[in-house]
Parts: sequence; C-alpha cells; structure tokens
Amino acid sequence: MKSKLLLIAMLICSVLCVLGLSGCKKSSAAVKLDSVSGTYDSEPDWNDGAKLIPLGYQEAQGKRLFYQYCVWCHADATPAGPSNRSNLTPVPSLINDGEKLNGESDESLLKIISLGGSAQGKSAMMPPYGKTLSPGEIKAVISFMRAIAQPAYQRPGRLG
Amino acid sequence: MRKHGIIAWLHRTFFASPAHRFAWASVLLVITLAIAPTKDFFNEWRRNQRQYISFFSSRQDGGTLKRHYTGGIQQIWLPDLNVVDRCTTCHLGVTENTLQGAEAVPEPFKAHPPAGHDVKEWGCVVCHRGQGPATELAEAHTATRAWEKPLLPVKFIQASCGSCHHGELPEAPQLARGRELLTRLNCEGCHKLDHLETPSLGPDLSNIGYKVSRAWIYKWLKEPRTILDKDGNTTVNGYESGEESRMPQYRLNEQELLSLSAFLSVQKTRALESYKINPSVLASWSKKPDLLSQGEERFRQLMCTTCHPVAVTRAGETKLIGGNIAPELTKVGSKVQADWLVSWLHDPQGYLPHAEMPRYGWTDEELYKVSQYVMNRLTDSDLLSNVPQLGAPAAEDIKNGKKIFLEKGCATCHSLQGIPPQKDFGPDLTTMGAKNTSELDFGKSKAPNNLVSYLQTKLKDPASVNPTARMPQYSWNQADLDAVTTALLSQTGEPATSALQQLVVPKKPASFQAVGVFAAVYERYKCYACHRFNGYGGALAPDLTYEGSLARKKWIFDFLKNPQTVRPALILRMPQFNMTDKEASILAEYLSLAVQNPTVDPESVDPRQFTPAMAAAGKALYQTKYQCQSCHTIGGSGGYVGPNLNNAGNWLTPAWIEAWLRNPQALQPGTIEPRRDFTEEEIRELTAYLITLRVGITRPSPKTAANAHPIAQGNGR
Repeated sequence: MKSKLLLIAMLICSVLCVLGLSGCKKSSAAVKLDSVSGTYDSEPDWNDGAKLIPLGYQEAQGKRLFYQYCVWCHADATPAGPSNRSNLTPVPSLINDGEKLNGESDESLLKIISLGGSAQGKSAMMPPYGKTLSPGEIKAVISFMRAIAQPAYQRPGRLG
Repeated sequence: MRKHGIIAWLHRTFFASPAHRFAWASVLLVITLAIAPTKDFFNEWRRNQRQYISFFSSRQDGGTLKRHYTGGIQQIWLPDLNVVDRCTTCHLGVTENTLQGAEAVPEPFKAHPPAGHDVKEWGCVVCHRGQGPATELAEAHTATRAWEKPLLPVKFIQASCGSCHHGELPEAPQLARGRELLTRLNCEGCHKLDHLETPSLGPDLSNIGYKVSRAWIYKWLKEPRTILDKDGNTTVNGYESGEESRMPQYRLNEQELLSLSAFLSVQKTRALESYKINPSVLASWSKKPDLLSQGEERFRQLMCTTCHPVAVTRAGETKLIGGNIAPELTKVGSKVQADWLVSWLHDPQGYLPHAEMPRYGWTDEELYKVSQYVMNRLTDSDLLSNVPQLGAPAAEDIKNGKKIFLEKGCATCHSLQGIPPQKDFGPDLTTMGAKNTSELDFGKSKAPNNLVSYLQTKLKDPASVNPTARMPQYSWNQADLDAVTTALLSQTGEPATSALQQLVVPKKPASFQAVGVFAAVYERYKCYACHRFNGYGGALAPDLTYEGSLARKKWIFDFLKNPQTVRPALILRMPQFNMTDKEASILAEYLSLAVQNPTVDPESVDPRQFTPAMAAAGKALYQTKYQCQSCHTIGGSGGYVGPNLNNAGNWLTPAWIEAWLRNPQALQPGTIEPRRDFTEEEIRELTAYLITLRVGITRPSPKTAANAHPIAQGNGR
C-alpha cells in the first residue's frame, strides 16, 4: 500500500516537472515586433523619388529642421518652389551630395553649421546657426544629411 | 498480491528496498525543486543580459558600459506618474550615449534617441504604452488577455506627445497635420474631440438655390471629389493639389440623389436682389472682341489666385497654383449662375453674411470683364455630362430631400435656415486613443485586432466595418491617414494621474478683438482671413502681431493703397483693395499704435544719430563680412530667402531693425534668419545703412503690377 502511495506521489511529481518546464519555452519568435519598431518617418531618395529612405527619430527631427532653415539654399526644390541655391557663388552643396559631404566628419559639419562658413575659411554666405539651433538640433540635421546621402554614407569604423 | 508487467517492473526498479525508494524519491524531489531556479536562469531577460555582457565586452567602450551595468531586474519607479517600468531590464543601453544611432548596435541594446524627455524622469510607458512591469517580451510589448494596451507603433508615437501637449508642438509635425485635418474636415461637427482649433464649417446653404443648378448639386453629391476630373478618376482631384476637397463622399443611391438635389435647389431663403451692371458698361464692352482676354488680365491683376487655387497647365503638366483658403475656380464657370456671380463679386456678404471674401468695391467694368471671363473660360463642358435630365423638383422629392438632409447629418457642417445644427451625431472620440481592443466593434472587417488597425480601417472605408455606418467616405493618402490616426490616438481623455495632469501643456488661447472704427474696416476687408494677429487669424500672409513696432505708419498707408510685394519671388500677393484714404489711414493708425511688441518701442531709436560714415561701415558689413545678399535683395541683386530691402528705410523702424538684428527669434519664433554675434556697434552700423535704402513710391500702372515675378512664399514676412 505504502509503495503505491509513493508511486502516485512520484507520478504527480513528474507531471509537475513536465508542466513546469513546458511553460519555459514560450516562443518569443511569435511576437512580431515589426509593427512596434517600424520606422518613425521617411524621406524620398532625392535621386530616385520612388525609393523611400526610412528615418529614425533623430533623423526625422533633422528633416523637420532642414525643411525649415536649410532647404532654401541646400536643395534645388523648396516647399515654396524655386531655390535660392542658383543665386549663390560658390554654389552651396546639395544636402544629399555624398561625394562631397561624406568626407566631412560630424565634428567639422557641426562647426560649419554652428559657426558659419567664414569662421571655417569658407564662404561667408553660410551663416552661423549656433545661436539659433541647439547642438542637439544641429546634430539631428547632420544625422538627416547622413541618412539621405547619395552615395550612401559609411560611418568611419566602429564607434566602439 | 501478484504484480504484472509494467507495475512489476516499476516496483522492481524503484521499490526493491527502502534505500532504493528513498534514493529515487530524493532524486525526484531535487528535480522538482530545481525547476523554478532553472526556469529563472534560462528566462528571456537573463538571456538578454548575458548577451549584453558579451556584446559590450567586445567593444572599446566596454569598460564604461560595464561600470554602468548592474544585473538583475531593473525598474524605473515613478509613483506620481503611475510608472513601474522594467523595460530597462532588457533595454540596457537606453541611456548610453555611445550606443546612440549606431547601426552596429543590436536591439534591445540601442540607446534612446535624444528626445525632450529623460527616461529616468518619465519612464517608458508614458509615451510608448505597453505593460511596464512585465518582464517577458510578449507581455511587455503586445496585447495579451490580461493587458489590452500594446506598445504604440513608432510610426504613431507622436500621439503620445498630443496626450499632454494640447497646443502647438513643432517637434511633432505628424500630430499637427492630423489635428489640422480633424479641424479642416470639421470632424467635430459629428464627434466630440478635445484640444482642436475652432473648426471651419462647410458653406451655408440657405441661398444655394440662387448659386448653382440642381444638376450641379446632383453631381457634387454623387462625386464631390471627382467633380474636377473628367476622366472619372476617383483617387485624386485630377491635379497635384496640396489640399483636397473637404466634402466627403456619401453613399447615396439614385433616389436619394434626386431628392436631396431637389431639396437643396429650392433653398432660396432670402430674396436675393441681383446686382445689375450699368447698361452703358454692358453696351460698350459686350461687343469687344478682346473682352475675355481683358477679363483674364484683370482676373490676374486682382490677385484672385492669392486665395483661390486655379489649375494651370504648363509643359503638359497640370498643377494647382495659388492659395488654399478659398474655393478652387478652375471649372467654376460650369458651376455657378452668371447672375449670382456678379452679385457675389459685388457684395459677398449680401449673399452670405458670414462670407470671408472681402468687399472689394470693384467697378462695373471690372465686374463685367471678370465675370465674363470666369463664366466663359473657367469651364468644363463635360462637367455635368453624366447627370440625368432632372427637370423641375417635385414636391415629394423636396420633402424626402429634407429627411435625407437630416438623416445623413448634413446639418453637422452646413447651416440651413430652419434646421438647427446637429450635434453629437457620431460617437464621442475624446477617449478613443485609450480604448481597449475589447471595446471595439470590428463588425465584418477582417482587420487585425488592435486599435491602430481599427482606426485605419474605419477611416479608410467606414462601410467595411459597419455597412450601415453614417460616416461618409474620405479619400486619404497614406500620410494623411497616418496623421489623422495619430491625432485620434492622442485623444486619451483626462491624464491618468494628477501628477500627469499638472504636466499638461495647454493650448495658448488666441485672442484678438478688433475695436472701434478699426473693426469696421478690418471686417470689411477681412484682414484676418490671411493675416494673424496675436495668434488669431489665417497663416497665408505675414503675422501682423507686432506690425506697429516693425513698420512705419506712412509705409503701411502707402502699402494698403498700393500693395507691392516685399518678397521678390512671391506668388501669393496682397490684392488691391481700392481702399479710400480714410480707410487706409484708419488701418495704418491703429496698426502702428495698438499692434506693437512690448519690448520694441518704434520711437526708441532716433535715426538722427546715424552718420554717413556709419552707413558706409554698415554697407561693408552687409556686403563683405556678413554677405547678407545671399538671402536679401537690394536693387535687383541678391537672394530671395528673406524680404527685399530696397525700401527698408521707408518700411522698417530703426528700433525694429536693431531689435531684429540682436535676436530675430525673440520677435518671430522659428524665423529662418539666424541669430548672430553682431557687436552693438555693428548693429548700429547695419541699421544706419539699412535706413538709407529708400525708393520713391511710384504708383505703377496695373500692367506692370501684373507682370511682376511670380513665386516663392517665404516663412513669415
């Protein structure tokens, strides 16, 4: 009799074991996070309008600031139509001109935007934005510029 | 007791002796006891933390990351905000600057991008939603049976900004666009919604019978969006247009169309006296061969397109040009009755007391030329081609039409004499953004079971969720659909805690009360339709909140008498109002005295202090050191980002120039001109130079005004 009881107890234990462990492998692959992560915003590729470039939060803030302050001289089409770019000598770079701008480091772009062209020995036509935009805002503009660069911008080495 | 088969085997193996029994029982007990710690050891968050350790140990900044790392469950606890967030248990790099934006960092270790709110002060779920205290991926992020508020997709995250920021928030353009659409389309006509601007209603229909034919009403009710498109395109208006028609499509059957068009075509509430053009004008003009081309020229000169868009075909591409605050006129000649048009142009408020179109006081000659041009050239012969013969409206149809008008909720947007506005016609949406999935009725729709897809399905095609829905059909593009969804998701009702309630950033009340003689002129010319005063009014033209500090009284007067654009490349220009001297001086007087910036007294800088030497120094600064010509034009050369300065000396007060040069954003937030490091001396020299720039006021013949350069609308003035 005793052994039977023990047997039953052991069976219950094993069932518990199996039950307990079965809860362990909850398939996390089933959780689709695409809709959660997704992209914050996007910008059409300037050289190919059909292609959309996904933008993260910071890049999207940069896009907003770019279209407010920079677009007038650094793009060929502006929200108002024509651009001031053709009016200027030297002609300002297009913001997506990777060939010209990929070579500039983030630090030097930050300097040009905050201190203006003349402080960097470049054209005084580029005014300083350091007292109008915060460093964070300027960095956001740079990250937008990097995101839409053609040819694509490669981050130099690994940050870490 | 005989023992057989498996039982016998079990007995032999486990219970052969008491020692056996004890040993096996102990083994099982140990295994059972080990389950919980084993499960705990292999759970998701520990696995993540182990991955994080191996991730940072291979990095150069691993030392710093290691110092910041503490294992175990992490928790942000903010009792005031009702936040218990354990997200940082797995999202270990959230506050690490070096893990910012770099593609090489895998999720969930990426840092949060620099946003206005610090994770440590706000937690995560206040913005992202989801289940904060959960420590499993699925439970934290998705909806489960016990938790119905999943993470908000990043695409709609600006909705969370809107739950607390009830006013303008430039950082959240998608939210702003969504709110703008909710206002523009007057969603509040049917639904209760929070924190929106005062909506603009649809046209008053009390006298619609004088304005358009029954056939046009029929067509418009059937296909409000395609009325501009002779190819029957239902997706777009046929033109590249910034804004679409505000009238949605109601799913009306033939009988309903007949009845409603009959009912509306007899709406002639007030006897409208049509304005008669002087017969001698008619006699002298009606025979002229160039009547229509002269009419077209006058139409351009009067700057109708500043407010009304018109489709223009250039190089095979048809585009809408012009402002967007008044109805499109491309085919208006096939819409309105000729008599009505003349009366309307003569006195818009005579037809509709609340009409926003100014009373221009045009001459009979202008009225005749322009109305003839509109009725004969801005037409489309195909417009009403697929409308059946309607004939005179029958009494039965008129009666049914009124019933349909009420059933469909037309009075939520359109006023009609004798019919009170319909309120709360649709559901209250003030807490729509906080609804649980179980509260939503998906009906026959196969849409995924979550709030976002419910909203988008319903907005895209209301009938797919509920075939008998009263909500009409809107045609959104994807961006607008996402924007409206965002704005609706931001409607989360009262903040969850009193601490959050205190953090709410309310909308700034806009108030501007025109008074006295000024008010009469201001009302007649509807200044507020385009200009903004202290947050009140339109955004088409410069904000005039500080006009009195900015501009000289004499200049305002001259400008009102003969508006010449300040921006060299502006397509939307102030129309010629033909104001009397008295009206212009009332406006100039009031604007220069009463509409000032408290920090800029226009009289505070005496122009007599400026010497020619200072002006010369200022000119050098302008041209060489600061190269202001990259944005501003003087004498025909320079850029066209900022206003032209040809007449700065007559236009701007020296006090304003100085204050502006010191800090433009203090006077006009968001203006493009950057704040610079001018010394006080430079500011005085630049001001000295700018006030020497003057051009004599010439009254150009209307011809030269019309030939002025079209284009670009800058930000602000």
